[in-house]
Amino acid sequence: MATPTPEEREDRLDQLVQLVVEIASGDGGARMAPSPASDGIDAVIVGVNMLAEELQALNVDLEGRVAERTVQLEQAQLQLERLALYDPLTGLANRTLLGDRINRALARADRGAAPPAVLLLDLDGFKSVNDSFGHTVGDLLLVEVAHRLTGVVRDTDTVARLGGDEFALVVLDATNEQVLATAERIRAALQTPVQVGERSCWVGASIGVCFAQRGQDADTLLRDADTAMYAAKNGVRGTVQIYETAMHTAALSRVRLAEELHGAITGGQLVVHYQSIVDLVSGLTTGVEALVRWRHPTRGLLVPSDFIGVAEDTGLITALDRWVLHTAVAQLATWRATALGAGKFVLHVNISPVELRTPRFADDVVQCLDRHGVSATDLMLEVTETQLMGEDAQTVAALEALRAAGIGMAIDDFGTGYSSIGYLRRMFLDVVKIDRSLITGLDTDRHQHRVAAAILAIVDAFGLEAVAEGVETAGQAERLRALGCRYGQGYHWGRPVPADAMTALLLASAAPSET
Amino acid sequence: MVVGVDPLGIVRLSWARGLRITEQLAQDAMALVDETNADRKRPLLVDMTGTATLTRDARRAFTRRCSASRIALLGRSPVDRVIANFAMGTSSVPVPTRFFTSQLAAVAWLRDGDTNT
Repeated sequence: MATPTPEEREDRLDQLVQLVVEIASGDGGARMAPSPASDGIDAVIVGVNMLAEELQALNVDLEGRVAERTVQLEQAQLQLERLALYDPLTGLANRTLLGDRINRALARADRGAAPPAVLLLDLDGFKSVNDSFGHTVGDLLLVEVAHRLTGVVRDTDTVARLGGDEFALVVLDATNEQVLATAERIRAALQTPVQVGERSCWVGASIGVCFAQRGQDADTLLRDADTAMYAAKNGVRGTVQIYETAMHTAALSRVRLAEELHGAITGGQLVVHYQSIVDLVSGLTTGVEALVRWRHPTRGLLVPSDFIGVAEDTGLITALDRWVLHTAVAQLATWRATALGAGKFVLHVNISPVELRTPRFADDVVQCLDRHGVSATDLMLEVTETQLMGEDAQTVAALEALRAAGIGMAIDDFGTGYSSIGYLRRMFLDVVKIDRSLITGLDTDRHQHRVAAAILAIVDAFGLEAVAEGVETAGQAERLRALGCRYGQGYHWGRPVPADAMTALLLASAAPSET
Repeated sequence: MVVGVDPLGIVRLSWARGLRITEQLAQDAMALVDETNADRKRPLLVDMTGTATLTRDARRAFTRRCSASRIALLGRSPVDRVIANFAMGTSSVPVPTRFFTSQLAAVAWLRDGDTNT
């Protein structure tokens, strides 16, 4: 082949410079054909071509990797968003997303749409499932409930889980009928038991409804729905309550009451009154029930039904129960030293089931007795029948420890709850206190008489002692004695009285040690 | 391309002049060399004199291990040298590979090891 002339070489060098300029300007596809000479200039041309190809390929690789990373980032962001806005267990919206949806619905209402409604529901009986079958079953139950709730709302509505067994629904453009129909569908959906493995679990729901007002904010709407739900929960369970302003006022007054109760426990406003428990055969006082009273600075003397609910809701019940236990045991020690002597006498003290789930509760009770030199057999702890439902391993362990120490256990208000014969079979029970509702009219109503007789027969069949509560007349006392009931308590023998008055009664009593 | 074995036991691969070696051509050539060698490992002399270029994908194909025990790339012009060095430098070749402008030197290196190009 012919050797290129200097002009030809100069021309190729100019073209090569132009190629480099084009590549530098971003034209990654620019190339130049080498000459047949295959000389040094051609070698540089081929090298630049191959470097450009390499650069172009690297760019494509890089862009591919950027695109891949972008997709990964978007997925990560979606996942984060999911974590931030959705409940991981049920996949429902969480509180944050619910708040957002409510705000959007309220904004729509401000632009002329109908305001939304919020339904807040709390499962009735969920705690029992959790306590009895464990958290795994409880979680599966929540997932199924979430599924059922999603099935009864429209696509435009939002279902959220707020935590625990609390769910919320936002219903857009809500009419009264529509919302109540939704609430009814929820109740119906929960009526079928949830099958978890081999177990069938029943739960109901107490539902609070709040219809939004224009200009209202999400927090207030949720708060008011919660207040309505609370009212439903505290009324007849499994019902629907629509928010009314009076409920908020009541809720505020409960908050105030809780604050005051806190001060009352530490500030000496609580007192213990004692009511006699009488042997129906001998007529002698064989024990007392300690009943807490609150000397409220403005409202006067309050009975437990005025404040126990608040104490339970706020966790103050533990401090309250402990205070009553210590005060009453100390009082019993004094009575032993002064009025009672060594004869049989039993102090009944009410405790919340929450206590039984508190570690070391049994130890604390035993220590309290030791500190005051009171025998364990002098103490009988009372737990309400309805509250004992769903006893868990910790409760059973506490009951066994109390029993091992010699402390008696009574089931209170028997006949007001499920009146489960299963309870009477339990090894930890000593005494059954028959609720006053079964005693009222005993001496005049034959039907009531038969019911009381049946219950007393069952109690006796299980080898337990019965204490009839709310005995108001001599006739009732006589009927009970005739039916084989051993003990009675009620206004017939006396109202609950302060310690001083009870001391006087005990001193005046002929022979308490003879019981 | 042409593939054969010379009397010295060296496998010879010759590329046509002016050829743009693509990934497919590279794979075909390697398959042919492997077929020629059967189960044996033998030195390979590649005559790449006058090839136009070697694509990026073709270079990557040459990084696959084949039946050659070592590879001598034979060329003549500065262009051949640049292309050969791209083949050796931008990819990690699996066996010892060198560029030669002398066939004698290439054969000597393939037969008994190192020598000058």
